[in-house]
Amino acid sequence: MNKTNQGSSKLALSNYVFRPEFSSLLILIVMFAITAILQENFFTIKSIVRNINAFAPLILLSMGAAVVIISGGIDLSAGAALSLFTCVLTTVMKKSDPITGIYALLITFAVAILVGVVNGIGIGYLRIPPVIVTFATSYIWLGIGLFLRPTPGGESVAWFRIFYNPGMVEGISPHIEQFGRVIPPALILILIACFIWFIVSKTKTGRYIYAVGSNNDSAYASGINTAKVQMQACIINSIFIFLAALFFVGQNQSGDARMGDPLTLRAIASAIVGGVALSGGKGSVYFALVGALILNLVNKIIFFANISTAYQTLVSGLIVIIAIAAPVAYTLYSKE
Amino acid sequence: MNLGISSFLESYKKVIVAFILIVLLFALGGLIVPNFLTVEQVLFTLKLASFTALFALCQMIVIAAGGGGLDLSVGYAATLTAVLTASVMDGQNANLGAAILIALALGSAIGLANGALASFLNLPPLVVTMAMANILQGIVNAYTAGRNITGRPSPILAIVAAKSTGSFPNILFILLAITILVMIVLNKTKWGTILFGVGSNETTAYLSGINVKVVRCFAFVVSGILASLTGLLLIGNMGIAFKDMASNYVMPSIAAVVVGGVSMSGGDGNFIGVILGAVFLQALTNLLIAFGLGDAGKWLVFGIVLYALLSFYASNRRSR
Repeated sequence: MNKTNQGSSKLALSNYVFRPEFSSLLILIVMFAITAILQENFFTIKSIVRNINAFAPLILLSMGAAVVIISGGIDLSAGAALSLFTCVLTTVMKKSDPITGIYALLITFAVAILVGVVNGIGIGYLRIPPVIVTFATSYIWLGIGLFLRPTPGGESVAWFRIFYNPGMVEGISPHIEQFGRVIPPALILILIACFIWFIVSKTKTGRYIYAVGSNNDSAYASGINTAKVQMQACIINSIFIFLAALFFVGQNQSGDARMGDPLTLRAIASAIVGGVALSGGKGSVYFALVGALILNLVNKIIFFANISTAYQTLVSGLIVIIAIAAPVAYTLYSKE
Repeated sequence: MNLGISSFLESYKKVIVAFILIVLLFALGGLIVPNFLTVEQVLFTLKLASFTALFALCQMIVIAAGGGGLDLSVGYAATLTAVLTASVMDGQNANLGAAILIALALGSAIGLANGALASFLNLPPLVVTMAMANILQGIVNAYTAGRNITGRPSPILAIVAAKSTGSFPNILFILLAITILVMIVLNKTKWGTILFGVGSNETTAYLSGINVKVVRCFAFVVSGILASLTGLLLIGNMGIAFKDMASNYVMPSIAAVVVGGVSMSGGDGNFIGVILGAVFLQALTNLLIAFGLGDAGKWLVFGIVLYALLSFYASNRRSR
């Protein structure tokens, strides 16, 4: 598509309209419109904050999924890793001792790096098909999570609420409390993730991730350490999942070895709906966010339209198919 | 191609490794856990593994057709079939025919939808079949919302899937028959050549006049039909249908294919290896349960063993 438009001005609308991301953006706008009509106070700050909180975990995981997919991998262990992180956090923390919160942050961050390294060794260095190796690691994370937390629960220091709602932390300065009411911590976590990717994408690593994903062999032949790059992608993914775990423990003050399972495939679907190509090397990490918003809004619309929740999985499956088929149908149509 | 003993060993290397691993697992279990290595226990393991093997057959056919093929909807197709046919059969043999027809229709419809989207629209099979899994589970949820799933499998189905002749589970006869059929179709007919040809090199296949898209779509249809029929066998074995009866088979079915030595990039397939892969996974699970490790230890060791195994023989390190 791009080739046919090369001659025209760079600002020509067609340059943007024919990109696969465009149709997902269109779908998102339609979704927003429908939700705004169905939900009366959609545009109040309170409701926007509530939505950001509800959407944050999937958004963070979908951005991580996008990084791994762009590097030519896929991560089926994301949900299990998220669960594991919540288990580690709530095991290390002791409610009575606020300093344990710091220990928990450091230890869980180290665990997150380790999780990325183990996935990266499998995908990058051993070159096992990513689908199957991350399936294996998902059981390792699940096993460790269940070992730490056989049943959902655990302790959390009170100040961990700062990752969910600063207003709930006792003795916090009123300025931060006011700030948290307008800019929720969930949004800050998402912005941190965006910022990390922004920095990475400006470095060699960022370009290598695209190069390795689009053609592993030629990237290798041109001297890129493909295994290392794929491992770096896995570690970035793991850090995004870590951010989601902070939010989750802040919100629930507990850990659960199975809470993340449903998010794994939804995160991958979000990335694909956001225009990331499963074959690797193509797409934008920020647009994974658009995909995650679409999937989240679908659930909201189902809720507000008084459709029975029994249809929720059915409709979200249909939406994924429509969202990924739309760009193809659109391209076929625009070719004629 | 010469069929000397060395080339035989080379092409069946992974199958032999899988077989040795299974023997080792049983030997280990026999040494440590009393009553682990009995004929009944081995046959029981085989019986449980046969369902995984049947789902893995669906998976193998789709994977063999190449193009990043995978079918994550197999377990859900089976669940939907089981839930819908339970009330149709209602414990009567006379209704078994109708149930099989429903399974065939449902399976081919699901497979056709998967195949059309993945093959003709060129969408990634992983996402298409994942979304299809959601849709099927959604239909099951909607169908079962606010009502009980009634109905029982017909007695014939229960005999075939659940009962044993002596101590030999009947399902193994079915598996044996299917194995022979699959081996003949894949190795002795042009269907196998076409399937593997499309999987190993789609350009060559296209230039030899094969319609690659149709073949890949057809692979999904076969997978859907087989998954639905396996759903019938599952309800026969369990006696009742429930909401998530087969969803836990999806990922093990892929693992069985890989442990069985089939390449994930397509172009080859060996159902005997896949069966051994399924038996290995089942034997490992049984052994870990027999050790009394509990959920945490069971899944942890399962994951580590799978990872170690994959790093030995699903790794592509030596290819460059």
